[in-house]
Amino acid sequence: MSQQTQPDNLQTDAVLTEIEGCINLPQLFRKRCQALGSRVALREKEFGIWHSFDWDTFYLRAREIGAALMALGLQPGNVVSILAENRKEWLYFDLATMCSGGISNGVYTTDSPMQLEHICRDSASRFLVVEDEEQLDKYLEVRDALPDIEKVIVVEDEGLKRFDDPKVMFIDALYELGRANLDRFAEEWDRRIDAIKADDVAILVYTSGTTGAPKGAMITHSNIMFQANNAQSYMGACHDEEIMSILPLCHIAERTFSVFFALHYRWVVNFVEAPDTSFENTMEVSPTVFFGVPRMWEKMYSSVIIKIKEAVWAGRITYHWAVNIGMRYEEAREAGRVGLALRAQRWLAEKLVLHNLKVMLGLDRARIMFTGAAPVSPDLIQWFRAIGLDLFELYGQTECSGITSCNRADANRLGTVGQAAAHVEMKIAEDGEIVYRGPHIFKGYLNQPEKTAETVIDGWLHSGDVGNVDNEGFFRILDRKKDIIITAGGKNITPSEIENQLKFSPYISDAVIIGDQRKFLTCLVMIDHENVLQYAQDMNVPFTDYASLCAREEVKHLIGEEVEKVNKNFARVETVKKFTIIDKELTADDEELTATMKLKRSMVAKTYKDLIDAMYAG
Amino acid sequence: MSETAPNETMLSIRNLETFYGPVMAIRGVSLDVMQGQIVAILGSNGAGKTTVLKTISGAMEPQKGSIVYNGQDITGHEPDRVARAGIGHVPEGREVFPFLSVQENLEMGAFSRRDRTAIAEDLEMVFDYFPDLRKSAKNEAAYLSGGQQQMLAIGRALMMRPHMMLLDEPSLGLSPKLVGEIFDIIRRLNSEQQMTILLVEQNAHMALQLADFGYVLEVGRVVMEGDRQRLLDSRDIQEFYLGRKEESARGKRRWKQRKTWR
Repeated sequence: MSQQTQPDNLQTDAVLTEIEGCINLPQLFRKRCQALGSRVALREKEFGIWHSFDWDTFYLRAREIGAALMALGLQPGNVVSILAENRKEWLYFDLATMCSGGISNGVYTTDSPMQLEHICRDSASRFLVVEDEEQLDKYLEVRDALPDIEKVIVVEDEGLKRFDDPKVMFIDALYELGRANLDRFAEEWDRRIDAIKADDVAILVYTSGTTGAPKGAMITHSNIMFQANNAQSYMGACHDEEIMSILPLCHIAERTFSVFFALHYRWVVNFVEAPDTSFENTMEVSPTVFFGVPRMWEKMYSSVIIKIKEAVWAGRITYHWAVNIGMRYEEAREAGRVGLALRAQRWLAEKLVLHNLKVMLGLDRARIMFTGAAPVSPDLIQWFRAIGLDLFELYGQTECSGITSCNRADANRLGTVGQAAAHVEMKIAEDGEIVYRGPHIFKGYLNQPEKTAETVIDGWLHSGDVGNVDNEGFFRILDRKKDIIITAGGKNITPSEIENQLKFSPYISDAVIIGDQRKFLTCLVMIDHENVLQYAQDMNVPFTDYASLCAREEVKHLIGEEVEKVNKNFARVETVKKFTIIDKELTADDEELTATMKLKRSMVAKTYKDLIDAMYAG
Repeated sequence: MSETAPNETMLSIRNLETFYGPVMAIRGVSLDVMQGQIVAILGSNGAGKTTVLKTISGAMEPQKGSIVYNGQDITGHEPDRVARAGIGHVPEGREVFPFLSVQENLEMGAFSRRDRTAIAEDLEMVFDYFPDLRKSAKNEAAYLSGGQQQMLAIGRALMMRPHMMLLDEPSLGLSPKLVGEIFDIIRRLNSEQQMTILLVEQNAHMALQLADFGYVLEVGRVVMEGDRQRLLDSRDIQEFYLGRKEESARGKRRWKQRKTWR
């Protein structure tokens, strides 16, 4: 029996996708830049110093790049691929491309030359922007297979001073070309911006399914305008905020926050110096909006827990008291009644402990916080709310150009991904799959009409996630449809639930449950290096490198205890009977991890097949 | 691999943590040195290699962890006690006594010994290993070249009659030819005198020619361990410590792979 939410007035007309008279993102960009002029738009850290860039500069750079690309022959509808880490130039090229009527396509910097080739060929990219020597080498390896690329533009010339190639151009030369052609293309610039139709493709986002090669999702200007406009309905008033840019811009979630929302709501985007320094940089900026994937929130939580473990007895007592007060305060707040005594204690807890925790995490000014892109443990969210950070879980995917459902201040239910966003219809299909429709549904997969037809059926987008909805419209995700495990005994297991609880342990960084067609469940565990090392030190357990740490009996025993703790919360058939620790430290370069630092289930099952078989053999 | 001595553990370090003020220089370092082995500790500047040696020889005291030498716990012992127990430390930068002569430097090495005849024999032994020192026996140590000072520092340590030597970057500042000579001496000491050696080096190339076993330290932690062949085969060692990189499509490449230590 499929359950349905009450649909709002489903208007797909211009009202929802128009912002202040702008029907496409370039128009909105132009409007903002011209209005905000010398206000700060972007910040970037270079050689340890933060540099600010205003909206005037943003617009000028975009126009220079646009003029240069147009001079080099960029036509409306052409694709420009960007292969770079997050930085201001990423945004300059992104907007310049769109303003010139082109389509912007972000490529992950961890992609291999082969993956780059596939994406550029599939998208028929005419221009490729590469960050540096390392990324340029990827192109050079496959250049013969990509004859359609007119020019490759390099942003950082370190290590390339003597490099000369007719197809490759450095960004300074591009800016010069742009400056020389600014006047020549001035009219064309505005003409192209105004000629872009709402239904035109704005960006491509390649999503790698677990089956087959990555597919290019086509996101239109109307998708983007709708998402930008709609955000107020779940974020509330959110103008002039400050946000960090940490996750890769090619991912729809980061693009949504750092580009779509940032442009519309006039946010300042702060680029972190490197993924490793993101926590320090966050502390330095102290942003007011923060979007993170669960791994980031888990790491923040772990860092606090470990510090508390090292604190003196009095500090530990105070911390636990403060968090306890925080939890009780949240419960009372939700029930609608907070007594005077509790209010006073909460004030004290804030003064003594909780404010400092937030400063430590860089979130003392954060008002708007979200988690998404992967499952998260409700206990984790509860902890953040207890210390005074209103973290909300949201849900979306590339195929809906961002967000489709969201918890908010006046409608929050832990363990759910919230109610459907305004002007979006969501329901549960016959087989339990979550389907939705609205102005946010993408245009389709480039060159893949069959795959598109499999995904959007009768106007409803099939998310690939299985879940349910309660009678107030809060959706719960159970798991990815294809990740549901059916044991040899015919029992349906949703591995995410168990994995989330395992990940809540400070010693476990990630976990993959195995059990499809098997007699019982087993688990592959990735330990949290820092915390387990600390434990080994505290317990005087000798070890040398990462692998030797994982091999210690004491560590296996420690993880075993954590697994047992989680097992207590599940039925017998859902308990993890055996586990193996992955003895390699996985990084974003490894195939087993996604760009948002999730373990890829099928990849892991393949790579560690022998270990898994061994667990079932004994 | 030299297997001249029984496989007994001579030095055993467990969970060592040493601080410079508030800064944790080494964290969770555990390693073993077997009798008769040459064990190398590799790592770039600031990795904590010298700190490990200084903690062993007693120049620094660890906050946590234990050091066991020949079954005896020497953690936190004063340096002279450690030296008397049989560990000779040749510090980074030589540290010869500049205003004493070569011979006086060597005699200082035997400061705590009383057996005059044996001391004289050992002096001869050192001069046999280092003929250059015999030639300049009366000269002030400050006037020696870098290579000769290194030989002097090693000789001075030998005068203690140690069973184990800690060598801190013996190749520092020396020409390749001299480095070769020093390393030959080390090899001879190991094979002729059955000297167990813990060698700290940035010159991974030479160190791996010499060592039976090695540990790689980065930012105070052990990131890799293995016998000589395992280290030589490691892609990360080749790129980051031996300077060997695969050529890219462009020819030479400058950018570095991410280290994985597998």
